[in-house]
Amino acid sequence: MPVTVAMVSLASCWGCYQSLLDTHEALLDILPQLDIKFWHTVTDFKYKDLESYKDGSIDVGIVEGVCRTEEDVHILKTLRKKCKTLISLGTCSTYGGIYGLLNLTTIDQALKRKFVEAESVQEPNIPEEDVPKMLDFIVPNRKIVDFEVFLPGCPVVSKDIADAILGLLKGELPKPPVRTLCDECPREKSEVITIKQLKRDYEGIPDPKKCLLEQGYICMGPATREGCGALCPKAGMPCRGCYGPGPNVIDQGAKMISALGSIVDYESISPEELVEKVGDVAGTFYNFFLPSGIISKTVRKAK
Amino acid sequence: MSKEIVIEPATRLEGHAKIVIKLDKNNKVEDAHFGVTVTRFFEKFVEGRLMERVIRIVPRICGICPEAHHLASVSAVEAAWGITPPKAALKLRDLLLQAKTISSHALHFYALAAPDFLVGPLAEPQYRNVVTVIKHLPDAGKKAIELMKIGQDLCFLVGGRAIHPVTSVPGGQSKPMTEEERDEQLKRIDRAMELAKFTLDLARKVVGDYLDVITKLGVFDSYYIGLAREGVHTIFGDATVRVMSPDGKIVADFAKKDYLDYVAEHVAPHSYATHIFFKPASYPDGIWRAGPLGRINVADKMETPLAQEALKEFRDAVGRPCHATLAYNWARVVELVEAVEKAKMLLEDPDIVSTDVKLADVEPREGNGVGVVEAPRGTLIHHYWSDEKGICTKANLIVATNHNIAAVEKSFLVTAKQVFEDKIHEKLKLPEPMIKT
Repeated sequence: MPVTVAMVSLASCWGCYQSLLDTHEALLDILPQLDIKFWHTVTDFKYKDLESYKDGSIDVGIVEGVCRTEEDVHILKTLRKKCKTLISLGTCSTYGGIYGLLNLTTIDQALKRKFVEAESVQEPNIPEEDVPKMLDFIVPNRKIVDFEVFLPGCPVVSKDIADAILGLLKGELPKPPVRTLCDECPREKSEVITIKQLKRDYEGIPDPKKCLLEQGYICMGPATREGCGALCPKAGMPCRGCYGPGPNVIDQGAKMISALGSIVDYESISPEELVEKVGDVAGTFYNFFLPSGIISKTVRKAK
Repeated sequence: MSKEIVIEPATRLEGHAKIVIKLDKNNKVEDAHFGVTVTRFFEKFVEGRLMERVIRIVPRICGICPEAHHLASVSAVEAAWGITPPKAALKLRDLLLQAKTISSHALHFYALAAPDFLVGPLAEPQYRNVVTVIKHLPDAGKKAIELMKIGQDLCFLVGGRAIHPVTSVPGGQSKPMTEEERDEQLKRIDRAMELAKFTLDLARKVVGDYLDVITKLGVFDSYYIGLAREGVHTIFGDATVRVMSPDGKIVADFAKKDYLDYVAEHVAPHSYATHIFFKPASYPDGIWRAGPLGRINVADKMETPLAQEALKEFRDAVGRPCHATLAYNWARVVELVEAVEKAKMLLEDPDIVSTDVKLADVEPREGNGVGVVEAPRGTLIHHYWSDEKGICTKANLIVATNHNIAAVEKSFLVTAKQVFEDKIHEKLKLPEPMIKT
C-alpha cells in the first residue's frame, strides 16, 4: 500500500523539491509508492484539505523552507499534528538558512526598504490588508515543532533525497554524517596548512587541483558536514557551508573562524588586516547558519 | 448577501499566494485579488555582503530558475565594476541560461500546466496533477523526465550544480568546459531536439482541442515586455528591453541600465509581491505581461529556424499581439524549441571549450550596475550599488514573476466575470480529455 505523504513549502525557493524532481528516473520508482495528500506546487489540494485530515493520519510529512510569517508557523504546526514522521528537508528548515541573514536587521527596516524606499516603487505603501503578519526573526523549525529526520543542504542533493525516501519506505532512517566536506573533497591538501595571503573569490586564477583554503580563498569545508560531494570546490569555487555544521560542531561560523585563525601566518597578515580582508564576518561565516548560531542570540539581545 | 470565494493556496505554482473573488448578492463580480502571502527581503539582506557572494546568494530567490538570478547578478556586478569578461565566459553563461530554459519550460509545461488540459479542467482536483499524467501517459511522462534531465545535467555541467549554480564570478567563469564534456552534451542535445518536437506536437494537439477555451477564456489587452536583440527574440547578452502596447506597437526599446525610466512598482495593499508596470502609461493602464507570451509578442522573429516556423504557426492561429492568457503554454513550447536549437549552436561554437574564461585581475570599484536577463517566467532585473571595497550597499530587484502579478489578478477578474456572470464554462467547447480518471 502506498505511503501517505504531505509536503509543504514554508518561505522557501522550492530548490529542495526541484532537487527531488532531479532524481529523474528514480521518480518513476518513488512516485507510485507515495499517496500524495498535499504538495501545493504539484497537486491541487488546498489548506482546508490539509486541515481536514485526522491527526496522525499521514505517514510522512516533509517540510521545505522556514517560517517567515505567522501563517508559516500555523502550517508547520498543522503538518506536525497530521503526520507520524516529519522530515526537515534542506538547510532553511534545518538551520534557518540564508533568509536568516535578515536577522542582522529588523523586519521594519526590511519592509521599509522593499515597499517604501525601493527606487522603482511609486506611491510607497506597506501591504497590511489580508496578508499574514511577518515574524520579527527567523528561527530554525525545530524551535517550533519536533522532527524525526533532518536532511540539510541548499539544496539537499538529489541522491540524498532519493536515498532517504527509499530508505524510509523500508523503515530505515538516514545515517548521520561522520566526516567534513574536506574529507570528500578531491583537492590536494598539505599536511600542515599555512595561509600567507587571503584572496577574494574573483582574485587570480586558482590552481584547479590544490586545496582552495591553502590558496587563500575562504572555503567553509573544515566547518561543514559531508554529503554534497564537494560540488563547489570541484567547480572551482569555495564551499559556502550550505550543508551546515560538520559532526560534533555546535556553531558552524565559530568553528570556521577558529579554523581560519589557527592556519593564518600572522607574520604575513595582521589580525586587523585579516578582519579587513574578510569584509563581512556574518555573511562569510554564517551565510546559512545565522539563526542557529550562538551569535544570533547576541544580535537579538543588542536590539 | 455578498460572498467571497477564497482559493488558498493557489496551486501548481512555485511560491505562495491566495485568490479571493468577491461577489455581490446578485452574483456579480465586484473584485478579484491575487495576494502573494510571503516575501523574503533579499534586497535587504544582501546589503553588507561582498558583491561576489551576492551572486551566490540570490539564486535562492528561486529554486526552479536560480541560473537566471545568478546571471543577472553577475552581469550587474560586472556593470558596477566596469568589467568585461572573456567572450567564452559569456557564451558559457548563455548556454547555462538556455539549459535552464529547457528544463524549466519542460517542467512548467508538463507538471504545472498540462494536467489542466490532459486530465481536463472538470476532473476531480486530486487527479489534476503530473502524477496522473505519468500514470496514464507513461510515454509522455518518461519523455518529460528525460527532457528535464538533459537540461538539468547541462546546468550542472556549466553551473557546477544543477540547482543554485556557483561558477559565475566577477570577471568570468570559474570552470571551462572540456572537449570531452562538450562532445557528450552534443550527443544528448540531438535527443533533446526530438523530445522538444514531441512536446511541440503535444502542445499543438492540446491547443487544437482547446482552441475555443484558449481564445475565449481570460483574454484581455495588456502591454508586453521582453528582451530582444534588434527585434530578434533573445534571453541573454547584448539586448534591449522592448515594450509592446495593447494595440501591438513597439512603444519602447530601451537600454537595460535605463530601466528606472520605464519600469515601476505599484504596492497593492493585499500582496507582498508588487505590481510591476510600464511607467510612462502609469498604473493600472500600464499593466504588462512578461515571460513566454510577452517575449513572443515583442519579438519580430525567433533567432533559430525551427522556432521561427513554430512562431509562424502560433501567429497564424492566434495573431500578434496575442492577448490570450492560456496561449502562454503554447508560446512556452515555441521557446523550448529555440532553447534547444540555441544550446546546440553554442555547443558547436569552438569558443565554448576555450580555457580563457576568467580575468585574473579584477578590481572592485564604487558604482552601480544593472543586469537583465530573461528568466523562464520573465524579464529579470538586478540593480546593485557597490562601495570601493566591493561590498554591496544597496540592491533593487525586479523579479520575473512580479511583472505578471497585476496581469494574473486581472485574468482572475476577467475570468470570474465570464464564469459567474456569463456562465461561459457551460458554453465553451471542451474536448474529451486525453486522460480519463
